[in-house]
Amino acid sequence: MRIVATEADSDLLDVLQAAAGDLDAEVVIVPGTAEKDGKLIRALRNHPQVVFIDASKIDDFETLRAETHARGIALVAACHTPEEQTAVVNGNVDEWLDAGASVEEMKARIECALKRVHRAESPEVSAQVVEHLQYEELLYDRFTGFPTLPVMLERGREILEHTGSLTILYIEFVRYSKLEEIYGWQRLDEVLQTTARAVREFYNDQEGARENVLMVSHTGDDDFIFFTEVDDSDPHVEERINTLARGMENSIRERLEKEHGEDVAGLFGIYIGATTLYRNPKVRTERMIYRGIREAQHVARSVEQRERTRKVSELKELLRDEDVFIEYHPIVVTETKEVYGYEALARGGPRGLRSPEVMFGVAEEANLIWELSRLCRKRAIEGIDENLDPNQLLFLNIDPHDFRDPTFRYMDVEEIGVDNPERIVLEITERTAITDYPVFQKYLKEFRAHGFRFAVDDAGSGYAGLGSIANLEPDFIKLDISLISNIDTNFMKQNLVETMMSFANDQGIQVIAEGVEREEEYQAVKELGVHLTQGFLFHKPKYVGKITTEA
Amino acid sequence: MASDATILVVDDNRDNAEILRSFLESRGYKVIQAFDGESALARMEEVHPDLVLLDVMMPGMDGWQVCRTIKQHRDLAETRVVMVTAKGGWEDKHEGMRAGADDYVVKPIDLKEVEKKVERNLAAGGDAE
Repeated sequence: MRIVATEADSDLLDVLQAAAGDLDAEVVIVPGTAEKDGKLIRALRNHPQVVFIDASKIDDFETLRAETHARGIALVAACHTPEEQTAVVNGNVDEWLDAGASVEEMKARIECALKRVHRAESPEVSAQVVEHLQYEELLYDRFTGFPTLPVMLERGREILEHTGSLTILYIEFVRYSKLEEIYGWQRLDEVLQTTARAVREFYNDQEGARENVLMVSHTGDDDFIFFTEVDDSDPHVEERINTLARGMENSIRERLEKEHGEDVAGLFGIYIGATTLYRNPKVRTERMIYRGIREAQHVARSVEQRERTRKVSELKELLRDEDVFIEYHPIVVTETKEVYGYEALARGGPRGLRSPEVMFGVAEEANLIWELSRLCRKRAIEGIDENLDPNQLLFLNIDPHDFRDPTFRYMDVEEIGVDNPERIVLEITERTAITDYPVFQKYLKEFRAHGFRFAVDDAGSGYAGLGSIANLEPDFIKLDISLISNIDTNFMKQNLVETMMSFANDQGIQVIAEGVEREEEYQAVKELGVHLTQGFLFHKPKYVGKITTEA
Repeated sequence: MASDATILVVDDNRDNAEILRSFLESRGYKVIQAFDGESALARMEEVHPDLVLLDVMMPGMDGWQVCRTIKQHRDLAETRVVMVTAKGGWEDKHEGMRAGADDYVVKPIDLKEVEKKVERNLAAGGDAE
């Protein structure tokens, strides 16, 4: 241990030395007096644990106290007069003692000051603070402010015990897993906040309207639970619960569409299951509630299952009728804003399959992905002459499944109708390209031999390093939207894109910024030297005909 | 405007912390120190600094964990966090973005760069409020 001390009379310093000896500490004396406060403060940079001052030699206790406090150093003052005592107490020193104190007292005061200082820094206290911070997060949901399950379990128990029954509504909020991949987690957070607000409002309305809706919580990632009390004598209980469930579903859906658009809203499914518990003194109440939650969840899942089955048959009809249409999203040269090419994005004709993510998700589950991909590719390529100038490129999304599709795999050029492969850029998402790396490299080589070019899509959305991207030797890298949205105010994203640009320029790869929606984002991307830009800022996508059901 | 801002410097290497401290103080900031992740969070609770300069490689809770805890906490999430680390590659910056960090300074520390990044983050933090 090290103690830094000001000069003081020799008796006092002797006492200090003796106490320090007992404490196994080294004493460093800083020469000079009051006007040399700066010297003392400089001495703090050698990390002493204690600073000992003679109060008569210090002018500015508060500065000294602030300095020692910031560094976690104990400050002990020796006083000769009552005025000095008042001054050091007002200056907030950790401990003070009389200048004539004994060695024992000196020792005790130093130890006490150390304890006081280290209370804030001691591992136990820090650990408690950290734990407390982390537990606080767990009790109340940060989106809704609703209590989490452990908190509300007690309320459920009260209802069940007082009224004899409890109805649990389980609201399953299913999102297509790709939502985060497409829009980034920030966007998902916003969506969850919207949902939470909608649920909260719905809950408040209900609470005002009838007294029987009692609680709502957020469980796990994005499901909600309502606890409501039912009236046994009411013959329309079930109907009322259904109405409640539907009402909530509609209000969430409307809110999502209004705030985030049909595309994003389309990526969510809301399924509600209900179950009613009756008091049974033989069973522990908590256990009943947990079981009830599971039952309600199960009901919600079977609703979801039925919905899925319906979507699969919708998809089969879509394939039969070739009911897809293509949007061509322009990609522009960042500097000049002239159109460099278009990314083809397929959408389903039927409303429920409008979102490409949903459509491809259903196809994947139903094992119809090749058929759907073929149809979409065919459509995109059919439209090339009509929609693109001869010098513009067509960017096509390729699913990893496509490489296992024989018609695509062996580049049955007639089958897919490509006259000039050099105008086609195949986009492969970073996630699959990197995990399936050896297989991919082989495929890519063959396709390249035909004249096709490649883009690594969604770069920066996963964990892929630049080395593994480089190994694929892409012609283009498309920066994921999560790196671009709000890049103008997010320095971390700017740092990342900067790193990517110097890498890409080294390798001779063109970089495309996806999802540029605001002028500020465009300016930031331009300043960072990103070659190409895509997004709703300049051009809305071209909608291209053949919308069979819309007509 | 910068002079009344409080900065928490977190580094298990006391000499590094001291260098940052005296530099930032010479620029008029109020500086608080912590030498490990846990006590950094304890100090955050106590003083609510405007910005944290956070070393990544620390024994116990590392800088990423500290950053995530700050950014997930409702009272602390607004605090600007600038990571300080020897690793300046794509993967590390990506990790920083996922942890919710606001900016990044690469070691060995260039004090001019520190100043620039501290300034721009304090300015941006002020705007947001």
